[in-house]
Amino acid sequence: MNIARKKYPIFITFILFTTWLVFVNLVDGDWASLENSLDNLSTFFYESLWPPNWKVIEAQSYPVCDRNWDFLCSPAYIGIMETLKIAFVATGFGFILSLPLATLASRNLYRDSIAIPFRVLLAAMRTLPSIIWAIFFVILVGLGPVSGVLAMTFYTVGYLGKLQYEAIEGLSNDPLDAAKAMGLKNSEIIQRVVIPETANNLISQLFFMFEYNVRHGSVIGIVGAGGIGYYISTYLKFLQYDKVIALLIILFGVVIIIDLASIKARSYFVEDATFKSPNLFGNFFRGKKNK
Amino acid sequence: MSDVIHAVNLKIGYSPDNILAKIKNLQVEQGEIISIIGESGIGKTTLLKNIANLVKPISGSLKVFDNEQNRGRIGYIPQKLGLVKHETVFFNVLEGAICNESILRSISGFHDEGVLTKVEKSIDLMNLSDKIDEPIKRLSGGQQRRVAIARTMAQEPKLILADEFLSELDNKTVDSVWKTMLDYVERENTTLIIVEHNIERAKLAKRCLKLEQNKEKGYSVLNEVQI
Repeated sequence: MNIARKKYPIFITFILFTTWLVFVNLVDGDWASLENSLDNLSTFFYESLWPPNWKVIEAQSYPVCDRNWDFLCSPAYIGIMETLKIAFVATGFGFILSLPLATLASRNLYRDSIAIPFRVLLAAMRTLPSIIWAIFFVILVGLGPVSGVLAMTFYTVGYLGKLQYEAIEGLSNDPLDAAKAMGLKNSEIIQRVVIPETANNLISQLFFMFEYNVRHGSVIGIVGAGGIGYYISTYLKFLQYDKVIALLIILFGVVIIIDLASIKARSYFVEDATFKSPNLFGNFFRGKKNK
Repeated sequence: MSDVIHAVNLKIGYSPDNILAKIKNLQVEQGEIISIIGESGIGKTTLLKNIANLVKPISGSLKVFDNEQNRGRIGYIPQKLGLVKHETVFFNVLEGAICNESILRSISGFHDEGVLTKVEKSIDLMNLSDKIDEPIKRLSGGQQRRVAIARTMAQEPKLILADEFLSELDNKTVDSVWKTMLDYVERENTTLIIVEHNIERAKLAKRCLKLEQNKEKGYSVLNEVQI
């Protein structure tokens, strides 16, 4: 039997086997805790989480609401809007800062002695999760959305920078070779070859990062860096889990809307010249077939 | 007359353990039109890349314009053309023309009037004026090839290295593209080196070099041949 021909089943069996072994090692014989977990979940769900408390979309008692609709003064609206603003600004700043760093980290543009230190820098920035950056900036600049923006920007630079240099290194060598042979400087090559050729990827990554940052808005708020996470952490402290689940449902809805919008927006940057504007829901549920 | 290319005991390839070709002596003068022929995988493209300073020689001496760095002096048309596919014909031809202006002008986008004229003239020479704002990905293979040639013409290099630049063109277009290129190199006294494995097309050049496999030594050698 030729083992090479069976490599995929062997690989999958290997992954399953090793994962199970490590899991057994982690459980360390305490299987009873797992047996009770479903009962615990059911009790917690029906006694504390469900039904969601939709008071979160009503105006807060303080400060007094001076807007036409109560919803505009609700914790859900204020929290989500702040999270969206933090994510938007952090993604924008992150993109502007990460692009030059990513070009410097690309080994097809710069020699290793330049590229590797910049790769290490980007790796260091994304090693710390955004929540740790948030704790750091809350200590530095105090509670509020500014520390949220700074935390997310730092994480975005590290994460987006990696995606960008991988896209740049995936470029075909021919346009780069033609430009290098002409004697163009790296700054010109980046402007005239690298950015136009990777534009689709860069834009796609930008939307992905925005969505990622909105989702993480709930996490960094917990340490006081603003956004919907601030309200989630407050409700958690007072054991108001029904309000927490209501906010999480709203956040889930917002993430789905952003995802649909980003599918639509990215569809304008696909390769195929005969591309037709896709059906939003069709794309979301079936995957992107028009690409 | 000074040599454009002067190579002595040159060994080329991608690692010292795997030498692709050895060139004992190669001299190319300004204004010469040369074709390099040989089987696939024998090292023709690697030789062009060495001349274009994209790959370093393994050993030996290779001087191109006496190794003086000069912006825009070498024009290279890779086998797959190396065009920016998401951009327009104008954008791609401008990439060649910016070699004739300062880096500041090129980066800022405030291009020289003369540079823009060169772009339009080169596009016109290749009969692509009606496609000037068309993205490359929407052009046919032959049209893309003509854009790559227009880019090199707008660059006005003193040495053109073209890797199978006449392939994918029909006979009528080969004649017209070759005539335009020939007029250009003769008028500007430009050196042209084409890599071809089509002997008929290689005959269009005035001097022909052949990379031939030396089975005993395991690498190829460059010989001058009459075709």
